Amino acid sequence: MNKRKILKKIGLILLLIFIVIQFIPTNRNLSTQVLKDDFITTFNPPKNIATKLKISCYDCHSNNTYYPWYNKIQPIAWFLENHINEAKKELNFSEFGNYSNRRQKSKLKSIISQIKDNEMPLKSYTIMHKDAIITDKRKKQIIIWIENLKHTIK
Amino acid sequence: MQSVEENKNKYKTIKNEIQSIHEFLKNIKLMSKKIIYVLAIALLIVTACKDGKKNKPETDHSKMEMKKDHNDGHDHSKMEKKNNDDHNHDHSKMENKTSHDSKTIEQSKVKNPATTPIINAYLQIKNGLVATDKSATAKGATALLTAFKGFDMSKLSGNTHKEYMEILENAKEQAEHIEKSPIDHQREHFEVLSTDITDMIALLGTEKTLYQDHCPMASNGKGANWLSETKEIKNPYFGSKMMHCGSVKKQIN
Repeated sequence: MNKRKILKKIGLILLLIFIVIQFIPTNRNLSTQVLKDDFITTFNPPKNIATKLKISCYDCHSNNTYYPWYNKIQPIAWFLENHINEAKKELNFSEFGNYSNRRQKSKLKSIISQIKDNEMPLKSYTIMHKDAIITDKRKKQIIIWIENLKHTIK
Repeated sequence: MQSVEENKNKYKTIKNEIQSIHEFLKNIKLMSKKIIYVLAIALLIVTACKDGKKNKPETDHSKMEMKKDHNDGHDHSKMEKKNNDDHNHDHSKMENKTSHDSKTIEQSKVKNPATTPIINAYLQIKNGLVATDKSATAKGATALLTAFKGFDMSKLSGNTHKEYMEILENAKEQAEHIEKSPIDHQREHFEVLSTDITDMIALLGTEKTLYQDHCPMASNGKGANWLSETKEIKNPYFGSKMMHCGSVKKQIN
């Protein structure tokens, strides 16, 4: 009986903590600005590639994230906030046009190698977002297109 | 005697209170399931409210998205035209490919000693990769980041400063990745870093004698350059697998 009581108390305390942390605000990654430096605006990829990039990459690597309801609950929201900040530091499609040519080129190279090696999109992301998985056929298309784009940047 | 009775009375009242608390707790036990449900509902309401608040100032955003979606839906014809254009462009661009990516150093006129720590750290990375030694390579990257910190760029002016800043930004990122990546990724970033350091030498000069080498098999057969302090070819892209693949393209100083 005592053990049960203790467990119940612990459960209640955890529940209280869970409720309290819901009130701690997080910054949502949602920009209202017109994205003149956006990758898709700047380079105008074919529509199927643009759509794929938006679905598979833009949630973390841009200034706009689509948040399903479960991503608004703490502590998931915290984890995501950190994760997205890191991702944007590495590569931000919303500001890609603002990068120096040198940086653009090295980023394009990294994008190709990440997609080729199946490192991006992350497995932990594609588990929840099945539509973010890039098929081999689409992968080839994207890589060829980016490869060509890379050669146009001086 | 009175005091004893008083104490008895007090004791009774306390007992009563304790009993009532017991009953209250029993009630709570019965209610606990209900309470948990209520809390859960409260939680949902709280999160919903938060969304409501968050959404209000961001109506502009949702409108924007709507507009975007609209465009996506309606501009098929335009988009397709653009795609076709892109394809055409791509072909012409393909033809220009060869002149790109492999910059050669204009013989540096300035014997600049200030770049030496940066170049030495770069060579440390290079030698780490020649030995296929991940941790030695990572140490070189740390040394490179330190060397960049120690470089005095206040003497650079105008365009030189701007170009150096761009090189610095990119080279730093490569070094940060080399610090924490497995060896194959270290090699990928080293390729980009080599371009950066080569361009930096072309921009600022060096007092060191260096050799610009080229391996046609590196970078998945696209070919890649690197800088070396020795005339003998020691390949950082393959290490012992293909130690002597490559040739000297240029000698600096």
